[in-house]
Amino acid sequence: MDAVFDLATLRGAARVAGFTWTDEELEALRPVIQASLRLLATLDTLPLDAVEPTTQYRIL
Amino acid sequence: MSADLAFAPVADLARMIARKEVSPVEVVRVHLERIAALDATLRAYITVCDEAALAAARAAESALAAGRPVGALHGVPVALKDLYDTAGVRTTGGSKILADRVPEADATVVRRLKEAGAIVLGKLHMVEFAYGPEGLNAHHGAPRNPWDAAAARMPGGSSSGSGVAVAAGLAPAALGSDTGGSIRIPASLCGITGLKPTYGRVSRAGVLPLAWSMDHVGPMTRTVADSALLLRVMAGYDPADASTSVLPVPDYLAALSGDVKGLRVGLLRSFFLESATPEVRAAVETAAKALEKAGAILDEVALPAVAHVGAASYAVVASEALAYHTGWLKSRPTDYDPEVRKRLQLGAFITGAHYVRGQQVRALVRNEVDAALARRDVLLAPTTPLTAPRLDERQTTLGDGPSEVRGALIRLTRPFNFSGHPACAVPCGFSTGGLPIGMQLVGRPFDEATVLRAADAYQRLTDWHTRRPVLA
Repeated sequence: MDAVFDLATLRGAARVAGFTWTDEELEALRPVIQASLRLLATLDTLPLDAVEPTTQYRIL
Repeated sequence: MSADLAFAPVADLARMIARKEVSPVEVVRVHLERIAALDATLRAYITVCDEAALAAARAAESALAAGRPVGALHGVPVALKDLYDTAGVRTTGGSKILADRVPEADATVVRRLKEAGAIVLGKLHMVEFAYGPEGLNAHHGAPRNPWDAAAARMPGGSSSGSGVAVAAGLAPAALGSDTGGSIRIPASLCGITGLKPTYGRVSRAGVLPLAWSMDHVGPMTRTVADSALLLRVMAGYDPADASTSVLPVPDYLAALSGDVKGLRVGLLRSFFLESATPEVRAAVETAAKALEKAGAILDEVALPAVAHVGAASYAVVASEALAYHTGWLKSRPTDYDPEVRKRLQLGAFITGAHYVRGQQVRALVRNEVDAALARRDVLLAPTTPLTAPRLDERQTTLGDGPSEVRGALIRLTRPFNFSGHPACAVPCGFSTGGLPIGMQLVGRPFDEATVLRAADAYQRLTDWHTRRPVLA
């Protein structure tokens, strides 16, 4: 079951990130945010605990 | 003669100019005349440097007459995606925000091309700030795919103008940039060659970023040999880009032996061929058989972790892009294309933990591609799973079901931005509707020589790369 975010939650999250977007903009973004968070949640299902994140890019 | 010069390979132009068989002034003029005649329809260029290009051509001609030593690209015109800084010439990133920005210095690779004698014809159309694979641009209008300009098909992006200019004979070579496929996608849709080198092989200094850890710059040409020639000039350590490698730059042209006997080719079926439309799948399978017939050893290999690249690379790209654009997103939000603004805004809802998760998946993918290449020399896959969609097309059907066009275009190229491996896209057929089909060859880190050798050998076996679009 997906978490459903209301406008107040999105407004707060945007402010934390440093942005003040209108309710109209956030409402238009809401379905895309839901979809992107659903996509990102799939990363939490992967067995990554023993995997060190990439921090260097083959600099030789 | 004019059409011959417009479609002559870079290597031939450089040789003819050096031998004084053709004047660089004539070569530049032929291209400027084609731009004047065709670009109102095709829209490949944002800025044409006609006077400066002609002046540089005259200087190149004088240098030859005086017997001065000349570089590998002496007198050869090239065009640049409009995110490469060019001293004294505006560099817009395809945006309204940077519409009047005129850099004081050239990007490192532009300087290297000029030092080798290349002449800059102009700056090419692109998706705003390189954030999108279709080739659309709300400010400038989308360039038209020259293979079906009448039906208004996508050129692919974000290096849309680069793909169109090279395919249509408006430049013998162009530079693109590739964060999720932006060199290889327009190469595939426009029927040309596009090389994304290894991350760290070519300097990004002076190139507007989309996502620093995923951005690659490289050449777009009609032949693999021409990409090899340009890469030799462009590659190498640059103190202005901390990601560049100190590894020596080989002579890529010398590696093009035409021989693939014993070359181990891993065909990527799962996720890659399986998602392609039947025509694309058949063309790539036929190409694999052609390489096998020429002596390559073919097998199939799978990369299961690439199934997670979409989510993981989204976390990385959207976060890095937002970091770069935060200032303008606050001060000039309405100056963005609304679609690009929306993509940037989404980055605000990605957490630091998501970003790190993405980088963990990146390590998995990189290790998996390395493992596949431990027992093979190159991997082979379609570049895009479909041919050029119409500009207004948003949904499509792939070999494994329905998909958004945007996601479909980027699906097969993005894994190798994430892993950093070199990949070269070449044409490998045409659809029944006359649209180009592309395949990509992927190699070991810093082994562009083998990738180019395999791709060049394929072009010696086929003539797809020699076909030209019919233009009014």
